Amino acid sequence: MAAAAWLVALLMLFGFEMPSRAQQAGGTNVAVTLVPGAQQAPVGASIPLAFVMKPKPGWHGYWENPGDAGAEATISWTLPKGITASDLRYPVPERLVVSGIMNYVYEHEYALLADLKLAADVAPGTRLPIRARLDFLACTAEICVPDSAEVSTEIVAGPAGQPAAMDKRFAAFEAAMPRPIGAEGRFLVENGMVRIGVPLPASVDVEDPYFFPFDYGSLDHGAAQKVSRNGDLLIVETRAGANATGLAAVPGLLSIGEGQGLLVTAKPGPVPPAGVTADAEAPAAGAGWRVIQAALAGAILGGLLLNVMPCVFPILSLKALSLAKAGADESSARREALAYTAGVVLVCVALGGILLGLRAGGAAVGWAFQLQDPRVILILLLLVTAIALNLAGLFELPAIASGGRLAAAGGVHGAFWTGALAAFVATPCTGPFMGAALGAALVLPTAASLAIFAGLGLGLALPFLLLGFVPALRRRLPRPGAWMNRLRRILSVPMFLTALGLAWVLGRQAGVDGMALGVGAALVLGLGFWWVGVRQGGSRAWLPLAPALAAAAAAIFIVPLGVRAEVAAQGVLASEPFREASLAALRAERRPVFVYFTADWCITCKVNEKGAMASAEVARAFQARNVAVLGGDWTRGDAEIGRFLAQHGRSGVPLYLYYPPGQDAKILPQILTVGELTALGTPV
Amino acid sequence: MKHLIPLAAAFVLAAPAMAAPQIGSPAPNFRLVGMNGQAVSLDQYKGKIVVLEWNNPGCPFVKKHYGSGNMQKTQAAARNAGVVWLTINSSAAGKQGHMDGAAARAFVAGQKAQPTAYLLDPAGTVGRGYGAVTTPHMYVIDRAGRLVYAGGIDDKPTANPADVAGARNHVLAALGEVAAGKKVSVPTSRPYGCNVKYKDS
Repeated sequence: MAAAAWLVALLMLFGFEMPSRAQQAGGTNVAVTLVPGAQQAPVGASIPLAFVMKPKPGWHGYWENPGDAGAEATISWTLPKGITASDLRYPVPERLVVSGIMNYVYEHEYALLADLKLAADVAPGTRLPIRARLDFLACTAEICVPDSAEVSTEIVAGPAGQPAAMDKRFAAFEAAMPRPIGAEGRFLVENGMVRIGVPLPASVDVEDPYFFPFDYGSLDHGAAQKVSRNGDLLIVETRAGANATGLAAVPGLLSIGEGQGLLVTAKPGPVPPAGVTADAEAPAAGAGWRVIQAALAGAILGGLLLNVMPCVFPILSLKALSLAKAGADESSARREALAYTAGVVLVCVALGGILLGLRAGGAAVGWAFQLQDPRVILILLLLVTAIALNLAGLFELPAIASGGRLAAAGGVHGAFWTGALAAFVATPCTGPFMGAALGAALVLPTAASLAIFAGLGLGLALPFLLLGFVPALRRRLPRPGAWMNRLRRILSVPMFLTALGLAWVLGRQAGVDGMALGVGAALVLGLGFWWVGVRQGGSRAWLPLAPALAAAAAAIFIVPLGVRAEVAAQGVLASEPFREASLAALRAERRPVFVYFTADWCITCKVNEKGAMASAEVARAFQARNVAVLGGDWTRGDAEIGRFLAQHGRSGVPLYLYYPPGQDAKILPQILTVGELTALGTPV
Repeated sequence: MKHLIPLAAAFVLAAPAMAAPQIGSPAPNFRLVGMNGQAVSLDQYKGKIVVLEWNNPGCPFVKKHYGSGNMQKTQAAARNAGVVWLTINSSAAGKQGHMDGAAARAFVAGQKAQPTAYLLDPAGTVGRGYGAVTTPHMYVIDRAGRLVYAGGIDDKPTANPADVAGARNHVLAALGEVAAGKKVSVPTSRPYGCNVKYKDS
């Protein structure tokens, strides 16, 4: 290559013309050729057209925003009637610093694309001559030469609806184009600096990221850009340009490596400082307020539903029982209800906070993440076993044993911890109800997300809160009596079942050895409690529990963690790669088809894939209804997918489509819910 | 993640600091040698409106405005209104547009240009100090010595002389507003043209 470049330079020096240049349609230093996307273009549709630009070695052409110097290309068309051309589309540019001046350029072969639209009334078979004059600037580090090229080609109008046979090169041309990120960014101007936050999943690796602004004056082109990541936010910090204050938007192209670029428009709003976690920032005023409200309502409702789940119901009943036991004392009932609520809400918010913190740190976690660690499961197993044994009457807790003499303070204390426990064990039950609300919580500002977690807790605590504050409800609770002990014994059954469930989860995560270890630890603990029960009432009755607890705790350190990954990996729906041909084949079979388009850098896509689409319920429903799933990955800008998106009026992902048998596609909303997905298809 | 920081650091080193003066802030003083060998400093024009024009005769964008007579017309209009016009050449030795005094005199005479002075800045210190990135790159300094305009000569960033006719001349507009005691309505615009051919740093 280098040798060839030298040869070209040498020939030029002696005034030789390269023979191939005579065939170029124009351009002295950057050769220009016009390539139609297809020879035949269907009427009523568009086809792309490429200006293939080939700079001589050492020369470059310019991007739309040329940087500190240079100029963008201008075009004048001569088109036959019935054809209109779009603005030029530019591929992802490169940076070129010449003596400290920033230029946004292309130093290699590149293609500018324009889309030609054929009117529906053009007669198929018509020959359509396309002529264009491209004026552009070609430069080296030393000199700049304005250049122009007169180029032409001809296409033929084809029948409507018949897909064009695309030139193979266009796959590469389209792949070099930047892609719309599908979510809005934020920017903040402060002390002469601009900070831009771009939503980008933490799992996406970026290489040499750089924000190319489209407009002059928003950023100082020549200043260095400091890029950091804060969870699912990529933060670009650089010196503000001359016009940065008072801008309504900063549109730009974020390059993330290997010619990959994402189009993003940043609107004014809060952006966390580089390297500082999102917690410090208040939510954007009015930003998605309705989304927040809807998610909050969903969270409260979901929390309420959790009360009837097998993992929570025994705990709640236990507490209601103690309330009934304590008699109808108005103020203590209220205090206990409030303490219980506080316990539930605090644990929910704390779990939410930990989740957000882990996400900010880049860890791929979802709700119920704490149940992905076998050690946590083991602790829960021991705790639930102890509660079940207590309910079964193996031993008495001092507070409960003291019955009527239950101190008010002790009751409040107990209520708080009961609430905390209820919230902690309730999290695995959240999945089916909470997918949508939690999905929203993870993309909302931190404070709003925490509010949603709090809402979930509030919903969970609501029945007990009502019981505490509405004496009429409490009066309907039966009087304390001997029946209570019987009920306690009965309630121990679902609690033992919960323990069994936890043992099973432990087995899934840590294998048979882990499960045996867990059950063994529970047995040791049970023996300890049995001994405590025997000595109940005597002094130092709790002493025997110490070695049992120590033995059980030892198990926590040796439980195997290895099998974890298998469970932790969250699956998307089983799908086949999207191809138009496979879609057509499936539709011909009259199978219902769900089609989704995603990209690694699309945060909305990832939320849906980890939320609604990963739900077991949806997988079951799709299987039962024979719904085929096709998944298209647009991370690298597959041209076929790009055209398909354009046909459906989208310039980017996500796009969710459902094809009922024998019917046209229905476009699904961008935020999916479990309910929406399970409703697809007809039962068979 | 890990490799972001070294990359960002490398980029900091590659781009020399060009902290251009802000609009509304005092225009930094400078002292340069003119084409006739005389020393010219900005503060000798205290109390006058001053235009700075970055020049490189080899640049097609400069040719557009001299070839069409647009630059000379703008200079004449400014000088007739009592405005000081300083044309500055920051091309380094061995680079496009570099000139000594004789070459600069030949250029000014050949183009019938009318600057108050044509100044030579081969070291690029004044150019870099003002953040001049293109030729032409225009600045307007008001009577109080504050920078009131920085950017292109007009709003048609092309090399085509035919585009001069329909363009808004930002410099003349700014001079008119300053003379009338008004605020400059377009204080910045895209400076378009060739890179200033600075000495490699």
